[in-house]
Amino acid sequence: MPSADVVVIGAGLAGLTAAIAAAEAGARVLVLAKGHAATHWGPGGIDVAGIPAASTPRDGIRRLATQPGHPYAFLGDDVAAALDWLRPQLAAGGVDHVGDLDTPLQLAPTSIGGTRRAAILPAGQAAALSPWAVGERLVICGITGFKDFWPEAIAASLSRERIWEGGNRPASVTPVSVALPGLAARHNLNALEIARRFDDPAWRAMAIEAMARAIASVPGSGGRVALPAVLGLREHAAVLAAVQQRLPASPFEMPLVPPSVPGLRLYAALRAAVIRAGGRVQIGEMIERVEFDGRSVTAVVSAAAARTYTVRTGALILATGGIAGGGLVAERDGRLREPLLGLPVEAPPADDWLSVDAFDPAGHPLEKAGIRTDAELRPVGPDGTPVFDNVRVAGSLLAGQRYIGERCGDGVALTSGRRAAQSLTAVPAGPAAAPGSKRP
Amino acid sequence: MTIAELVMNASEEAVGYSSDECLKCNVCVTVCPVARVTDLFPGPKYVGPQAQRFRTGRAQPVQVAGIRIPLSPDLTVDYCSGCGWCTTVCPAGVKIAEMNSQSRARMKAGKRPKLRDWGLGQTDLVGRLGVLFSPISNWALANRPIRAIMQTTIGIHREAPFPKFGRRTFQSTWKRRQRRRGTAAVPGPDRAVVYFHGCSANYYEQHVADAAIAILRRNGFETIIPEQVCCGLPLISNGIYTEARGRAHRNLDVLARYARQGYRIVGTSTSCTHTIKAEYRDMLDIHDEDATVVANATWDICEFLLDLHEQGKLDTRFGRLDEDLPYHAPCQLRSHGIGLPAMELFALVPGLRAADMDHDCCGIAGTYGMKKEKYPIGMAVGAPLFEKIRASGAPEAACDSETCRWQIEKATGTRTRHPIEILLAAYRVADAADRAGREPLAAAGA
Repeated sequence: MPSADVVVIGAGLAGLTAAIAAAEAGARVLVLAKGHAATHWGPGGIDVAGIPAASTPRDGIRRLATQPGHPYAFLGDDVAAALDWLRPQLAAGGVDHVGDLDTPLQLAPTSIGGTRRAAILPAGQAAALSPWAVGERLVICGITGFKDFWPEAIAASLSRERIWEGGNRPASVTPVSVALPGLAARHNLNALEIARRFDDPAWRAMAIEAMARAIASVPGSGGRVALPAVLGLREHAAVLAAVQQRLPASPFEMPLVPPSVPGLRLYAALRAAVIRAGGRVQIGEMIERVEFDGRSVTAVVSAAAARTYTVRTGALILATGGIAGGGLVAERDGRLREPLLGLPVEAPPADDWLSVDAFDPAGHPLEKAGIRTDAELRPVGPDGTPVFDNVRVAGSLLAGQRYIGERCGDGVALTSGRRAAQSLTAVPAGPAAAPGSKRP
Repeated sequence: MTIAELVMNASEEAVGYSSDECLKCNVCVTVCPVARVTDLFPGPKYVGPQAQRFRTGRAQPVQVAGIRIPLSPDLTVDYCSGCGWCTTVCPAGVKIAEMNSQSRARMKAGKRPKLRDWGLGQTDLVGRLGVLFSPISNWALANRPIRAIMQTTIGIHREAPFPKFGRRTFQSTWKRRQRRRGTAAVPGPDRAVVYFHGCSANYYEQHVADAAIAILRRNGFETIIPEQVCCGLPLISNGIYTEARGRAHRNLDVLARYARQGYRIVGTSTSCTHTIKAEYRDMLDIHDEDATVVANATWDICEFLLDLHEQGKLDTRFGRLDEDLPYHAPCQLRSHGIGLPAMELFALVPGLRAADMDHDCCGIAGTYGMKKEKYPIGMAVGAPLFEKIRASGAPEAACDSETCRWQIEKATGTRTRHPIEILLAAYRVADAADRAGREPLAAAGA
């Protein structure tokens, strides 16, 4: 039976961040997850606090921290440090983000022809942010045969003033399509396949020439050009540099429906950082139960062929996600359950679950459901005292946030993941990570 | 009920309905090793859960309102290598690889299989014939003109890795040894295990069986080797379920008797043990008591040794092996869901610097990479692994699955061994040191 100092359940932003931090502190770390998810679906940026009232992420954190029960109430001061710590980890994996907590939140156009508020974006998307100079034009450049990105529809939508909330916007939005070598006749073409083709330098050169010609054919194309987020997977930095150098307009990627290439790049960089720090990641582990002794978790048991797979552990970080990720399960009688440890769930009454407006900008009330913790991220009972000694909770499973509606999920995830790890590895006499226990 | 109908039912109940859980999120497509290198295969989602709702669940095409409904909307499912990564990473628990295997079997049900696919599926028949004519068969398989002819006639790629047939089967060697030794009482389940050697150790790699017996004995277990046939995986992979089911039942009949007495069944081929544990149920829809008893009693040998270690019963007096050892975890091992037991065991050997190559698939996928039309795909899938192993400069590599070992050896020229051969070598270093009366080697495992 393998053993670890810290088992992390969940391989999203929170889980992987926690794993990096715990492994860096010398703990033997094993990440177990039932599958890939949020990173592979997400746009790859770091949303810290994109609420409409906020001018910057820092301002957003301040506002959210005043909400009763919001995780930023005890994590807010730590976001900047967590972000500064994570950036070089991601950069080592080829993922650079532009922007920080004091970058103004601005509108970025999206691949369904809407806009969203963002400040910290991958380098490939950063040129999407307003403000637009007077007369600056936007070209939407699609790829013939690629059905996840419709330049005409995007351009038509982005040409409407209200999409830009009545504010600053491009002088014109013009669609164009370009046939790339070998793709026109393909069906079932997805973003990942095109991204992998861009990794090949020879194909890349031909493709970028074709794109440059197509974009140059649009009158007044000197402003910016939006491209589907397919500019390379492993070689993204090189592809981006070549595109920036060759295209007649300032390019940016628009994230697409899954599989999200920027999300895949982010996952690869996070996983690489875990492994660099000495941790391990095992996907395909459907956790069946957690064993504990009194107030301490002792082992994690997952389903395996014909039997179960048990990992003994000194501590557990629960980063299993919210209701969408499977960290919470809804029962038919209107109760929410945390399936692994049976932790007390804080949730709005079932009557509020049925939101009248599915696209309410404030988010769905159920998003706020989750596990209440203390500032050390220990799950607590109704009386506010911790229910387990060696368990921490991180990410969307934390109660009190609307991780989608408030666009705070990434900030909460990486800050809570890091703090959860720090809290466990700092315990001097605890079972987790005595110094020097790192594997040779 | 016909076999084909049985397949349909298995699909609908056990596997097919899992497509209802599919979110169409494409996570499976992102990890598919085949889709990574070729556009001949669009990816597991497209041919699996997405196509599933168009499948009729019948053995033959049907007419609905005058329209012919084909068995599968996407025949490229035949390009699935069966590695199982899609099922591993699916966040919704869809049994994608199983669905694709069953779809392939349905496509092929009722049709006579290609001679090549049938032959590659009959690992035990081919093995028996190969061993019987072993000097000739080995010469033929190493003969370039003959291989060229094989490629054009039956479609086995001329460069595909083939191991050398042994001069006799391991079964016959074992029986001969038993006769020489005379019949001794068989120890109980606490002191003996059933060894499932599989086709590779029986026909090609007797040294793996010998290593297994030596290691088990060293740790207090005698070996029982009952009559056994191919586990059936090559037949499953080639979509020939009827014959696979026959093999499965023959094995289950024998193995269940031992399993009911409490004996554990230990195998050196991680794909055989996975087939017995999971695929008799998930692919072949065998849900009887025999199948359950046998599945629960079956262990991959490294899993078994690690379990002994956990109980403090593994002999950890390994000698020092001062070497770099690249290790490839086969796809089938990952499907066991037991982590990387070989890596845990390697960590007990002083001086051994084992490194997980962290690559998805070597490309051979059983018999997939041997086929003319799929060989280039397999080589492209494995290319990054081969490059890493070559770059390591290590004299040998390790891997739990035989076809992967053959593929890696062929592609890299690096000798590739079963993890237990490495462990046995470490025991022998310790023995040699003991004999030489030198200082006993540090007990590992602290």
